[in-house]
Amino acid sequence: MQPNTQLEKTNQKVETTPAEPLVQQKDRWAFVHEVEKLPGGENILDCLQCGLCAGTCPTRFAMDYSPIQIIKMIHLGMREEVLSSSTIWVCSSCYSCYSRCPRAVDITTLMMSLRNLAMKEKIPVKKEIKPKFHKTFYEIVRKYGRLHEPELLMKILKKSDLPNLYNNVKFGWSLLRKGRLKLRPTKIGNHAELLAILEKTAKEEAQ
Amino acid sequence: MKYAFYPGCAVHHSSKEYGESCRAISKALDVELAEIPDWSCCGAIDAVYSYRPLSSIALVARDLALVEKMGMDVVTLCSACYYTLNRTNKLLKENSELKNKVDAALSSAGLSYSGNVRVRHFLEALITDVGLQRIKERVKTPLTALNVASYYGCFLVRPQYLTSFDDPEHPKSLDDLAEALGASKVEYYGKIRCCGASLQITDEKVMLEMSKKILLSAKDAGANCIITACPLCHFNLDAKQKAIESKFDVKIDLPILHFTQLVGLAFAIPPKDLGLDKNFVVPNKILLQYARSVA
Repeated sequence: MQPNTQLEKTNQKVETTPAEPLVQQKDRWAFVHEVEKLPGGENILDCLQCGLCAGTCPTRFAMDYSPIQIIKMIHLGMREEVLSSSTIWVCSSCYSCYSRCPRAVDITTLMMSLRNLAMKEKIPVKKEIKPKFHKTFYEIVRKYGRLHEPELLMKILKKSDLPNLYNNVKFGWSLLRKGRLKLRPTKIGNHAELLAILEKTAKEEAQ
Repeated sequence: MKYAFYPGCAVHHSSKEYGESCRAISKALDVELAEIPDWSCCGAIDAVYSYRPLSSIALVARDLALVEKMGMDVVTLCSACYYTLNRTNKLLKENSELKNKVDAALSSAGLSYSGNVRVRHFLEALITDVGLQRIKERVKTPLTALNVASYYGCFLVRPQYLTSFDDPEHPKSLDDLAEALGASKVEYYGKIRCCGASLQITDEKVMLEMSKKILLSAKDAGANCIITACPLCHFNLDAKQKAIESKFDVKIDLPILHFTQLVGLAFAIPPKDLGLDKNFVVPNKILLQYARSVA
């Protein structure tokens, strides 16, 4: 009788070493607890991974990880991967995911908090225009009290991307002709009042 | 009826026609709007909040403190402002540590805010306070030939913990309004899908794709026009429609009206007063017929 080599093989004791865990157990919970303290992350462990958020997300097609994956990655403590994902920057803050989440996880607000965390830690972003947009927007509001779109665009658009620049100027011209663009910014009257407030909060934020 | 009015940067600049038409129909309905003296930008959803959360909340708290002095509810035309103002109210109510910090910042400018301002969208004020019945009575030219697709977008109906005047999945306020004006409503896929407004500057490609889906689904459902309740939605669907057509090689040609413009047409207010000439997509024959009947 021929020996059953197949059987013999399976009976052989195979020496295996367990795979290196992606994240050390201790670090894993550190990130989960960090997220639980962020606005929107309070009940992050309530997520039951149903996937409604990913199915309903209108910008899923442009993200590297879907919202459900981001949540799982938070559960697994993958801090670096989450904060350097394109997802947190592609999210359009539309609240569709929150609105349909059966566990009321406020993913949208959490995405804002994650953007804030990534900016604070200066984590490299795949599209550098994103953090630049937020910073410049703040600077302009601080300067005038109101948004001045032409200045925002001029400051953040890449000067080397000529076709895009041309398109924006052309579009700006058509807005101007319809009386829907002001070339000069509007500054609020009591600007000193606003500055006093923002100076105080900026100090607080720096701590 | 009198309200404090928070126009917001978009209505102040790039969507002037929304403000103009709003003032025109308010006058017709005896609604008084008192603009907040010296209001500042709300920080646009997360534009400031993601970078400096505390500053963004203090920025809005200043606006709300100014409204509190006026002693009225505040109405806004912009869904993004509506969200941002409401969020600030909620955060200040729930987080005492945050409130202390904001109070300290406000007091350095001689201001204080106790948290008692009610923030409302102009559409909500129109439907709940003025009422559809009174609007119906004021209609001079019923818009019977129009099939209107109501576009709700995001912040008018979401998140539910900030806004509860309409259903987040099956909203009907704009549809009811359109029907009160004599028009027929259109059911379509895109009515609560996001137009991508917050990505307009940083991710235009993604934004165009999102707005395209809304426009095409409304057109396929047989709409003659779309109405919006937010200057950012209107901007994407109207001013950027040409860019969408050329990027995806499709013909859309669907007029987009601020809901206030549609109300104005039914009230037989001259199109010029409604700023209709400032819209990008040229009104189609049916709309022109109503506009001309006034002129």
